[in-house]
Parts: sequence; C-alpha cells; structure tokens
Amino acid sequence: MSPDPRDRRTFLKQSAAAASALALGCAPEGAERASGTAAPPPLPREPLRAVAATVLPSEVGPEGPARIADEFEAWLAGYAPVSEQVHGYGTQEIRYGPPAPGPRWSAQLEALDSEARARHGRPFASLAPAERRALLETALAQAEGGLADRPAALTADHVAVGLLSFFYGSPEAADLCYGRRIGAGTCRPLEASGERPERLDVEIAARPSSRPPAPRSESRGTRIERGLEPAS
Amino acid sequence: MPATVETDVCVIGSGITAAMLVDKLADDRDLKITVVEAGAPPPPLARRAELRRRYVDYGDNPWPGDHIETHTVVGRPHGFSPSHVVGGLAMHWGAVTPRFTPEDFRVRALYGEGDDWPLTYDDLEPAYGEAEVRMGVAGDPGPEDLDPRSSPYPMPAIPLTYNLVRLKAWAEASGVPFWPMPSAKNSRPYGGRAQCCRHETCWPICPIGAKYSPEFTFSALARAGRVEILTETLVRRLHVADASERIERATAVDRTDPSRSLELRASVFVLAAGYVWSPHLLLLSADARHPDGLANRSGLVGAYLCGHRGVNAFVDVPFDIYPGMNGQHSLLSTRFMRPGPQRRYLRHDFRIWESAVGKEPRLRDDAGRLMLGDGVLADWRERARGRGTARLRAYYDAMPARDSRLTLHPTERDAWGDPLPRVSFADAASSVASRAYSEETIAARFREFARAGGGEVFTVRPSDAQEHPGGGCRMGRDPGRSVVDSHGRAHDHENLFIVGAPTFVTAGCTNGTLTMAALGIRAAAEIGRAWPVREASRSTPGRGDVA
Repeated sequence: MSPDPRDRRTFLKQSAAAASALALGCAPEGAERASGTAAPPPLPREPLRAVAATVLPSEVGPEGPARIADEFEAWLAGYAPVSEQVHGYGTQEIRYGPPAPGPRWSAQLEALDSEARARHGRPFASLAPAERRALLETALAQAEGGLADRPAALTADHVAVGLLSFFYGSPEAADLCYGRRIGAGTCRPLEASGERPERLDVEIAARPSSRPPAPRSESRGTRIERGLEPAS
Repeated sequence: MPATVETDVCVIGSGITAAMLVDKLADDRDLKITVVEAGAPPPPLARRAELRRRYVDYGDNPWPGDHIETHTVVGRPHGFSPSHVVGGLAMHWGAVTPRFTPEDFRVRALYGEGDDWPLTYDDLEPAYGEAEVRMGVAGDPGPEDLDPRSSPYPMPAIPLTYNLVRLKAWAEASGVPFWPMPSAKNSRPYGGRAQCCRHETCWPICPIGAKYSPEFTFSALARAGRVEILTETLVRRLHVADASERIERATAVDRTDPSRSLELRASVFVLAAGYVWSPHLLLLSADARHPDGLANRSGLVGAYLCGHRGVNAFVDVPFDIYPGMNGQHSLLSTRFMRPGPQRRYLRHDFRIWESAVGKEPRLRDDAGRLMLGDGVLADWRERARGRGTARLRAYYDAMPARDSRLTLHPTERDAWGDPLPRVSFADAASSVASRAYSEETIAARFREFARAGGGEVFTVRPSDAQEHPGGGCRMGRDPGRSVVDSHGRAHDHENLFIVGAPTFVTAGCTNGTLTMAALGIRAAAEIGRAWPVREASRSTPGRGDVA
C-alpha cells in the first residue's frame, strides 16, 4: 500500500503546534494554521516596535523601527510551521522547519512589558532608550545560546534576536553596511553586473519616499544570508 | 490485471540525462517514447516566484513533497537527494556545466591510476556541444589548450560581476588563467525562456525559468505529442524474456492508486534513474536465471561507486567585495585538470566565488559583549569594508574501489516491501594513500596563490564527501569488468541501456552533469538507429516552452 507523505507532515505539524501550546499554555497556533482555520495572533505591537527601536541601528531612520517591526510581523504571520525544508544532493534526510516561534516571542514581549511596569511603573514602549536596553540585556542574558553568531530568525530563542536576524539577513542591511546599492536577491539586469554598485547616498531617514523598500518577496531572508555558500 | 503500456522506447527516470536523451531521440527519429517517473510534476513556472519567496523567507522546499516516504537510501549517499519529481535531481541543480578534460577519460593510460573509460574526450566532444545547445549553456571558452572545444557556446557567458572582475584580476596575478564558469542559465532570452536577472537562487529554484530544468524539455515534448510521461509511477522490476536475454517488460505501481499496477512493454528500455535507483532496480530484478540481478554477469552492478573530494578555502583579499551581487556565479580554471606529466598523481579543478565568510554581521564582539543598536552595524562595517573574502575550491580526483558499492539492504524495506539500497563508498588503495598528499598540496597551492595577489588564506576545509557521485553500472569494453559499453548498452541485454551518472568509470574532478547529458545524447544516437529518421526536425534549439 502506498504511504501518504501528508500523514507524516500533518503529524509533525500538529505535534509541534501542540508542543508550543503546552509550553506556553496558549492555543495550539500551529494546529490552527495547519487546518487553515485561523492566522496566528499578532505579536504585541507596541512592545515589538519598542524592541525594534532599541536593537536596530539608528541609520534605519526614525520611521525605520516601526516599518521593520511591521515587516517582521508580516514575515512571521506567513510562516507555516514544520513545513518541509529544502533538500538537495548530499543527504537523504527530509527536514522540517521549527514550530512557530510566535507564541514564545509574544510571551517574551509581554514579559518585557510586565517587567517595565514592575520596575518603572510604565509600559516597555514608554521607557527611555537606556531603560529599555537594560531590560533587554537582562532578558537576552537569560536567553539560550546562539548570540555569538546570528541564528536563523525562525530559530532565535528571543524575539529581539529574531528581529535582529531578520533585519541583518536582509538586502537592506547589507546595503547599509557597505554603503552601496547591492540589492542582493533582487532581480537586476545582467548588463550592469560588472559595475561597482552605486553609492547609497540617500539618507535612510528619507528612504520611504526616495527608495521604497523592496517587495517582501525579495527583501527578507533566512536563507540568503551573508556567508551562505553555493552548493555546487 | 495490470494495465499495459506498449511503446518503442521506455525511459525510466526523468532527470537531466533522460531529458537530453529523449529530446534527441524525439527530434531525430520517428518513434514512440514513454517516460516513467516515480515522482509528480513540479509546480508550474507561474508559481515559482511564490515558491522562491517561501524558500528565501523560511527555507521551505521549493518543490514540496518531492520525495516518497520510506523509499530512500541507507548509508551515506553523498550526492544523493531524496527528490522524486519530473526533472529529477536537476530540479535542485545549480546549472553548472563544465566539461571533463581529455585526461579524465584516460587516467590509467596517462597516470597509471584507476581505469580508463571506453571512450575518449574526442568521442564525446560532439555530444558535449549538442548538450550545451539543447539545454542552453552560456559560456566563454577558456584558453584553447585548457578548454578544447569544436563549437562555440550557444550563448555568451553570464557577465562577470564587479566582484568577479576584481577577483579575476587578483587571481591571475598567480599566473593561472580563469574564465567564467559555463552555466545552463540564459545570458539572453533562449529557447523561449527569460534572461537571467541575478535572483541568486539558481540553487534551488529559478523563479523565471532562466535556468535550464529538464521538466521544460519534457513539458514541451509532451505538449507536442512527442513523448508520453507517466508520473507517480514507480518501476519495481524489469523482466527478461523467457527465450532470450532481452528485457521484455517492466512492472510498476501507480502511486496515486495503490490497487493499480502497470506493465510496460517496449523494444528498448533505458534506465536513467541516477546512480542509486538504476543499480537498485537491476538488483531488485533478480530472477531464477539471474540470481544476482540483471546486467550483472560481471558482478559489478552496484560496484565502483565514485565521486570526487573537495578542498575549500577562504581568503582575505585586499579590496572590497560586495556579497550578494551574484553569489552563484564563479570563475573556473582547468589548469590543474591538465597538469601534464607528474611525479605523483594529483588533478583538480579550481573555482573562485565571492564570499562573506568571516565578514558577516554578529551580535557579540570578540570579547563576547552583546552589541545592540548601532553597535552591530558598526562592528560589521569595520570587519567587512575595505577588505573582502574570496572562496576557493578544488575538486580532486579520487579513484573508486571495487567494493565501493550499492547493495540491497538485508532488512530495511520500502512501503512496497522492496529492500532499500544501501551504499558504502570506498577509495581505491592508491587514492587512500594519496589523500593527505592531495589535500596538503592543494592547501599549499591555495596559500601560494592567495599570497600572489596580496591575500591570505584564513580557513582551509578539506571535505570528506564524495561529490557528484556516480558509478554502480560502470562502462567498459570488457563485459567481465564492466556493466555497459560506451553507449550505455548493457553487455548482458542488447535492448537495455543505462545512461548518465551510474555509467561513470571515475567521477573526474569537476561537476559531472554536462558529461551525463552528453552520454545521454550519445546513447540516443545509438538507440535511434533502429528507427526511421524523422523528417520534420525541430529548428529552435534549447526547448523552453515553460507554460
């Protein structure tokens, strides 16, 4: 009798979703998504934006943290937990992605807010930058491993690391680093290949009007990361 | 009663070798061709931008579900992929298409190593050129003495990026010439498919069809009525006629309807299922007259699995590199594949890529302090700007041992009750003895090479993998020492051809896909002789109807 590969995937998805839910005492997000009945609950918006304003570089401009936090949220909402991961030659293993990190990250944002209220009597988003940073550093010190390098955003233990990985895996961050319009992973004409990328001479703060962000389909990556080497 | 399919040529497998073989057969001859593939068709081109996005964003498989649960391999299979899909493993390929050099086919005669192929580079050269046209290869020839060829590439090379222009000048300070790696990617619109625009996901998915994939060929041929493709049909046995050694039929299961079996009858059977599933099917097909499996009078079905090893290095170079310009394009030199007389045998290719290794963003500094805010970007800039990283890699020749072998697993079985293939690679004694020498010599060569251009190697990583594996049905002149002849015809069964990677005698020292494709084309010419010439041949090279 022919096996049905969907059985295994469904089982893994439901198991992973249930594990997330059990760990956090919340609804089984992955299971809901797998059955198509509900989108994951959004991350708490204001704390997330405040985290972005604390951990992202100032060169993203005053509107940058909110924009990038929203893109992060949209990226997270699109994740299908435990989906089949890419495989190529070199292995017979079928790999699946991690459970949805959303419930864990939501809990962390709520914890940051609670801690801010407990210590300062105000929500996290209302704290001064130094106060926010101090709370985040404490939280990150308690997060598990992976901070020395940059873990893939989906596997980041802490939401702040997830956000940093998300941003620093993007063509936008690479362009900022090098000060050039490299545009990694975006469709660019072959004819211009041999030219040095143009200078990034437009202030990032003004970027939304002068240089719209790349479409999401081309802008964010857990895979097109610096240092990824081609397989062949 | 199983359903029966009658055809002239039954091709088992739909990877790139099968695509080239079928394309040529369908072009040149009037005959009925049936392709049998265990997997399903891949998603259409119209969906590939979305699939690429999910791969980029989440690492999702762009060919979801392209495997068969339980139908896999035991052991360390190196270049094996679990992919079962129309297009085969080439749905995951990087479209890199170097040729072997003449030495690859004559390592015994020239160097006393391994075994010679039963054909020469000159024998295969026309088929190399034809494969380049059929799939659409973009390339600029290297120096004539290093890159012998009788015909031009059908497309100019993918232009060098700014990074590769700088790296070429840097690399050639060593005196070694480099040129663009030929690739089956469109440097201009070709075969009805779009021009490449540097999406950087050639592996594993091109969202616009600029990279050649075998399913383009199959879908075009199927629409033209030139080939019948049976998908999700797993061939489980080949059967020999009672009164001869001819293959009479193949039996298969329909994976979409487990109660339905299928019998395929053909004048010629072509086994084009890669280096794992081709010998596996021959071993599975053992019967009373052939207790060790079909085509196995020599006892060599499954034997001499081969691959090449690699050494990677990363070099700090004294100029800016902008990672992400087109990271899957590279420079190539065949200088060390054609070394001339040697005191000790070592042959390898040589490639150079842009890289970001050592210059990626990080969240902690050297002292372990967490960086947030402007700190991460400032740290990244300080390490990344003004200097760059080049990646160097050499694949070197490793000769296979006879007992480098695929066998049937004694206990592990797939969902249909068939023993799974088990693989175990082993080098010949001479390659075992020279492995350290090969790796150390290449590493020293990398260091010397880097210094010539003012760079410094900071990491060298020899690999234990057997890259681009093949073998298991090796070709040869002597039926006692090989499974098929130089056209892929089984010594034991006149109407059975085995093509592509399993027929490799050795894996050479560069990517083997174009060689597989050329062997497929050469086999097609031989197979086709039994049928009348087709009068209305195709006029457009490089099938590319990608609707």
